[in-house]
Order: sequence, then structure tokens, then C-alpha cells
Amino acid sequence: MAPLLEPNAGFKFDNAKRNQLLSDKGYMVPTATKTGTTIVGLIYKDGVVLGADTRATNGSIVADKNCRKIHYLAPNMYCCGAGTAADTDFTTSMISSQLALHSLNTGRDARVVTAMTMLKQYLFRYQGHIGAALVLGGYDVMGPHLFTIYPHGSTDKLPYVTMGSGSLAAMSVFESSWRPELSREEAVEMVKDAIEAGIFNDLGSGSNVDVCIITKDNVEYIRGYSQPNERVPKEQSYRFAPGTTEFIATAPAATANDAAAMDVS
Amino acid sequence: MSIMQYNGSAVVAMTGKNCVAIAADKRLGQRALTVDMGFDKVFPMTNRLYVGLAGLATDVKTLHDRFRMHVNLYKHREERTIAPKTFAHMVSHMLYERRFGPYFVEPVIAGLDDNQQPFICNMDLIGCPNFPNDFVVCGTADENLFGMCESLWEPDLGPEELFETISQALLNAVDRDAMSGWGAIVHILTPDGVITRELKGRMD
Amino acid sequence: MDAQFAIAGKDFAISVADKKVTRSIVTMKHDKDKTYNLTPHTFISVAGEPGDTDNFSEYIQANIRLYSIRNSQDLTPSETANFIRGELANALRSRRPYQVNTLVTGYDKTTGKASLYWIDYLSAMAKVPYAAHGYCSYFVYSTMDREYSPDISLEKGLDIVRKCMASLKQRFLVDFSDYVIKVTDKQGIREIPMSEL
Repeated sequence: MAPLLEPNAGFKFDNAKRNQLLSDKGYMVPTATKTGTTIVGLIYKDGVVLGADTRATNGSIVADKNCRKIHYLAPNMYCCGAGTAADTDFTTSMISSQLALHSLNTGRDARVVTAMTMLKQYLFRYQGHIGAALVLGGYDVMGPHLFTIYPHGSTDKLPYVTMGSGSLAAMSVFESSWRPELSREEAVEMVKDAIEAGIFNDLGSGSNVDVCIITKDNVEYIRGYSQPNERVPKEQSYRFAPGTTEFIATAPAATANDAAAMDVS
Repeated sequence: MSIMQYNGSAVVAMTGKNCVAIAADKRLGQRALTVDMGFDKVFPMTNRLYVGLAGLATDVKTLHDRFRMHVNLYKHREERTIAPKTFAHMVSHMLYERRFGPYFVEPVIAGLDDNQQPFICNMDLIGCPNFPNDFVVCGTADENLFGMCESLWEPDLGPEELFETISQALLNAVDRDAMSGWGAIVHILTPDGVITRELKGRMD
Repeated sequence: MDAQFAIAGKDFAISVADKKVTRSIVTMKHDKDKTYNLTPHTFISVAGEPGDTDNFSEYIQANIRLYSIRNSQDLTPSETANFIRGELANALRSRRPYQVNTLVTGYDKTTGKASLYWIDYLSAMAKVPYAAHGYCSYFVYSTMDREYSPDISLEKGLDIVRKCMASLKQRFLVDFSDYVIKVTDKQGIREIPMSEL
């Protein structure tokens, strides 16, 4: 008999054999939520601006209309995620914990290259099976930094970057407008324009624009910086009169008390 | 056919004003053959927290058992009941742990937090959480449920109004899905307790 | 190509399993009992891959009996069913999975209620009033849907069994002709010979 509580570290593969059997029988293996995404970042005069759309998709269904794709890594670092949503969530939160411990051990803020190295080494170890495509931005003692990290572990260091399915649309904005030493206002507007290019020209991206402005000693995270797709208020109400729905039985106001949780039926 | 469609299911949760509702159909099938019309997919975890599991029935059972174990262990260790948000993160981690050999289940979590505010959450099968403030859906009728909820839901519904809204959303969604239906159950969580009702649904 | 189905009334449950062992197009055996008594009041009937069914059932039988001896108390039908489901689910994950469909039929002495659990080879489990596995389910479910009500008597239950067998005889490609019919109620498990049905 397997122990009740096995040690809790790393991935578990105990379902893999069974799932292989099922897929051999011809049952399609389901897909995870993806962020068909537009994420971008650019360096300007005083720091880094990151931007992201807020649509999460599952196949052709919009799973979340306002999800958060700019993840916290450290006080001076944020990271946009594209690809498999769970992977970007968990990878960034795990690296965030490691960075926190690292800062505590060293007594100083972690550097952006440190985060970049940890992320690329982690992703390379899993040979692309962890589907996280990231845009990492931050400000440390060496100044502003901006990286892209691909699921297989390769990285780029560039002054302006885009990723995700809307990366081509967003890049067209940067390629035509970016120049060194942008002002803060110009930089944020350009990021907004780039994300909106993705929102309107890429089916996988949509809803709102989130931006995150990282400067020396300051971070400004603006959820819904631009909301070009606000839902029109419903003109009519579909409230049903009480008693519309027929029901057969009402369980005695089961306060689902703690006994219910312990029920072993 | 995907393995998520093997047994058939439809689960939905909605927020209201100081209340939250979670509902599911009752069918258990083997593809087109209906085996049971009384199969539970929504389970109480505490008296303020329910979890709905849509997907492969064997994993629905396995995960229910494991959640129950962990919730009870938490209670013994912490000497308090688990909060909905904490539970959601626990579920999320349990699913992501099996990133490369997942349980074929999409969970829906509905509960009232310490301030009696509604909490809903759903996840994909590898535990990517989603915390909207209106409604969450999953199962074989998810596309239908999205359509129904998108048009029926409105903010600040009271318990009885919420019951009508979620019931109509679910019943009409499963009536356009061959794999789910055959009765439904609705739980309305309010600060005064839980109202549980079995709906009269089409049996075809 | 096994045929097995079962019906649970208020205080009794009937389970029916065919006796054929087949391999490809050949019938290897005509008199195989596919039921296994676990406690004086609980038994299972199994269908599926021939080697797996025996191996799995004997393992379950031995462990349930061991539990009874160690604890001087039998597991209830629901406990038995949950144990079987757990073992099957674990086996599915570790080595070559068992391809076994199970029906757990039991009578709970303490509550005086009979129950029936349907468990498929993926370890999906449901507590049901009546159940069937395999191709035979396409024939007998309709009969049971029509005839069953929660308060049926044992005689009515056996009548449903007769009707199910009749429809299998008339419409199913395979001729089963012989079945093991077992009943469990407060007196315990007993077999009803085909001749007395």
C-alpha cells in the first residue's frame, strides 16, 4: 500500500502510464488553458515598461476576459507570461520565491540577470515541455534590463521585445516608432499601442491593456491602463420570477457542517 | 473524442450579493450510454465551501477523496477550517503537481470567505486558476453555459434570484448538450446556511 | 463478451453473471462462476480480461477476508466498494492496468439496506439501483428502466431478471443460456439455480 502522504516535491508522474493507455485507446488528451497572448516590453530613458493584454483562451473559447499576465518576481522585477497559463503562473511564482530567499541570503535586491538565469536554467531542464514564454523586465544596480525567455531556455537581451501570438502585430508598432531615450509618457503610450495592435489584430489576444512601469526604486503596476473593449451595459434584464424553476426536493438546509466533510459514505 | 467527454458533465458557479451558488448536472455516462442519473459532482468541503468536479468520473472520485483528506488534515493541523482561497490554491498545486500526467478534471470552487463575501474560481486540468467576479463554468456543456451565463447573470442577485438564474442557465445549457443533464442539483451558500435543491430536468 | 447485470431492492439485491469464458471466436469454458463472495453478505461479479478478472477478484477477496479476520468485523458494502475502487485506481497507475468491470452487491446488516455499486475498468464508481456492464447493457438497461421501482419485491426482481434474460436470448448475438444468479439479503448470500428461476 502506498504511503498516505508521499513527500511533496517536484512533479508527479503516477498518472502518466494510465493517461498513455487512454490516449492509446484513441481518446484525445485534453488541452490546458493557453494565453494566446500579446506581451511586450521596452526600455526608455528612466527604466522599463512592460505591457500585456488580458485574454486567456481554451481552444477557441475565451476562458478569462481579464486575467493577469504581468507577474510579480521581486520588488524590482516583473515578468510577462505567454504560452500555457498554468506554466507561466507556477514558473514565475516559484522563481519569485527563490529570488526572495536569494535576496534574504545576500542582503540585497536580486539582479535581473539572476532571475533570467534561474528561469532559463529551469526551462532548459524541462526541454520545452514547460510552455512558458516570458518577457522579463526590471531595474537593478546595473540599470534597466529587458529579456525574453523562450520555453526551451534560450534568451534575448534587447531594448524592445514582444512575445506571444500577437508579437508580430506588436512588433510592427515598435519597429516603426521605437527610438532610444523615449520619455515616460511616450514609452507607456507606445506599449499601449503595441498591445492594442495585438488585441485588435490577433484573435488570441483581447480585452484590456495592463502596463507596469519599473524605474529606479519605484514600480507602477496599472491594471486596465486602457480598456478599449468595455462591455455595453445590458439593456434588458433576464431575471426570472421566483418559482420559475421546478425543483423536486429540497435537502434540509444542510449546513454542510463539518460532519459532512468527514462523511465517509 | 476527448477523454473529458467520456462521462459527460456540466458544472457552474455564480456570485450573488452576500451569497454564491454552485450547480451541476447528475448524469454519469459511458459515452452515449447513461449509467447513472444520480451521480454527484459537487461536494461540500466545509460548511462555507463547495467544490464541483467536471471531467473523467474516476478522477472526480479520486480527487474528491484526496481533497477531503487534505481538508481534514488541514483542520487538524491548523485548528480552523480552510478558507476558500486557501483551498483553491491547494487544489491548484495538487493539479499542477501532475503537470505531465494530469487528472482529467476541471474543478470549480465556490465559497463564502470570512467576511461572507462570495468567492468563485475555476481551473483547467493542470491547475491554472481563474478568479472572475461573475461566474465560472466547466464540463461538456461549457460553451453552452458560457452563453447562458453571459446573458442571464447580473450583479447583486439575492439568494432566491440567484437560484433562478443559475438553475435556468444550467438547465437550458444541458438541454443543448447530449452528454450532460438527467437532473441537476443546486447549492446556494448564504451566511445563514446552505440551500440545496434538486431540479426537475429533462430526462432525454 | 461477458453479460452481467444486477438489481438492488430495498432489502435485497440480485446479481446475474454469465458463465462463458471466451477467447477470440472460441468458447473455452461454459461453467465459470464469475462471482466472488467477500463477506457473508457482500459479493462481486466481474467481467473483462479473463486473467485480470480472476487475479484482481482473488486479491480483493483475500484482502476483504483478511480485514474481517483481523477486525472481527465485516466491511459494509459501501466500504467494500470504496476499497475495490481505490485498489483498482491505484493499479491503474502503477503497473499494467487491470481491465476489470465490477458490480458490488451487498446487504448492510446494521442498516438493513441492500446496495449496488457499479465500477468500471477506469475506476469510475456509482451507487445505483440497477446496473450492467459491457454489450449486455445495451439490451438490459431498457428492460430495467421500464420495470424497476425502488420498492420492488424479490419476486418482482427475479421477474425483471427473467425478462432481461429473455431479451438477451432473443436479440443478442451471443447465446449465454446459463447464468449464475445470486441474491443477498438478511439471510446472507445464496445462489438461485437456473432451474428454479
